[in-house]
Amino acid sequence: MARVVAAMALTHSPGLTGWFDRAPEDQRREARRALDEMRDRLQAARPDVIVLFSNDHLLNWPINNTPEYTVGIGAEHVGPADWYDEWLALDKYRIPGHPGIARYLVNEGARRRLAFAYLRDMQFDDGVSVPMHYLNPEGAIPLVPVTMNCTVPPIPTPERAYQVGTTLRDMLRAYPGTERVAVIATGGLSHEPGGPRYFWVDEEFDRWFLDLLKQGDHAALLRECTLERMEAAGSGGTAELLAWVLVLAFTRGPAEVLAYMPAVAWRSGTGMVVWPELQS
Amino acid sequence: MGNVERCDKTLPVNEMIYYVRRDAALRERWNRDLEGLAREFGLSREEYEAVRDKDVRRMHEIGVHQYYVPQILRLFYGASANTNSHPALEAYKRAYPEETAAAERLPARPARERG
Repeated sequence: MARVVAAMALTHSPGLTGWFDRAPEDQRREARRALDEMRDRLQAARPDVIVLFSNDHLLNWPINNTPEYTVGIGAEHVGPADWYDEWLALDKYRIPGHPGIARYLVNEGARRRLAFAYLRDMQFDDGVSVPMHYLNPEGAIPLVPVTMNCTVPPIPTPERAYQVGTTLRDMLRAYPGTERVAVIATGGLSHEPGGPRYFWVDEEFDRWFLDLLKQGDHAALLRECTLERMEAAGSGGTAELLAWVLVLAFTRGPAEVLAYMPAVAWRSGTGMVVWPELQS
Repeated sequence: MGNVERCDKTLPVNEMIYYVRRDAALRERWNRDLEGLAREFGLSREEYEAVRDKDVRRMHEIGVHQYYVPQILRLFYGASANTNSHPALEAYKRAYPEETAAAERLPARPARERG
């Protein structure tokens, strides 16, 4: 039985590494403080492995075949992809994988009627690279990356993401190992990458969504925060919060919001969240 | 639903960008022989011209996935320092002046959150 020991969520916008210095000084300071605190809390939880949920930015799969979920099952992960390293201003990094858990998720998922595609050589964009740069900078904690489709229609609903999160929680409980697992969601908050509102941040939506997380009422969040509401706050980008909704299923009670910045310079509502209480 | 629902998943240019982004040789060819590349991937004349002209609004109208549009602009202009004043982003400001003006009116205030 694997044990979930930490649950977190954060923005992965490329500006956080690629042009970090273009945001106002107070936003930079807040981001650094919150990211440092997340890293400290992650290390304090002593995870054996990070299972990270992000979206694939049309990098790993062509548009004619976009799986809902994909697991990176390699023994080692190398990023960023060549197309992304200059954009992210990051050197290549290497992080060990955890094929035991990764392959278990694919196969046990199938037995539970959950279709996970898999890749032995997954490529990494900002969704994995930015969070790992800040939270796992030495690559010391093995990684199981799980990408989601949050941007190619049909985009799954929040209910579906939460349902998958619940199934994954049950699957990890049933895993024949004793690993300590940190689950991390990356993406959001409001943004519309490449759309007409490319420079827009919907601060009102972001604060409303974070307040829902702080209330800790999962049923209320799923009732109120529909996919339509996410899309209205930034089409094709805000729905990256589906990863946060998935990780919500591993938690209970209120989330602790470490920071929020309506960061127009990074072209994304930017937030960092930790859940102190986890589902047993 | 939002703009992303308007993309044409079957548009050849939406397939082409996936392969170009992953292949250094195709990326090099982009700026040398875009027309030949477009022909090989089966782009219509309309698709090719919208891409060649870096016409953001036209690309949206014909169904290019909106995430790919700034990626296309990066193929022309480069990827480093992709700030809001990068040439790729200036193309957006020209295409969508009203939306850009609304975003520029947003306050850049910080917000510390706890609890």
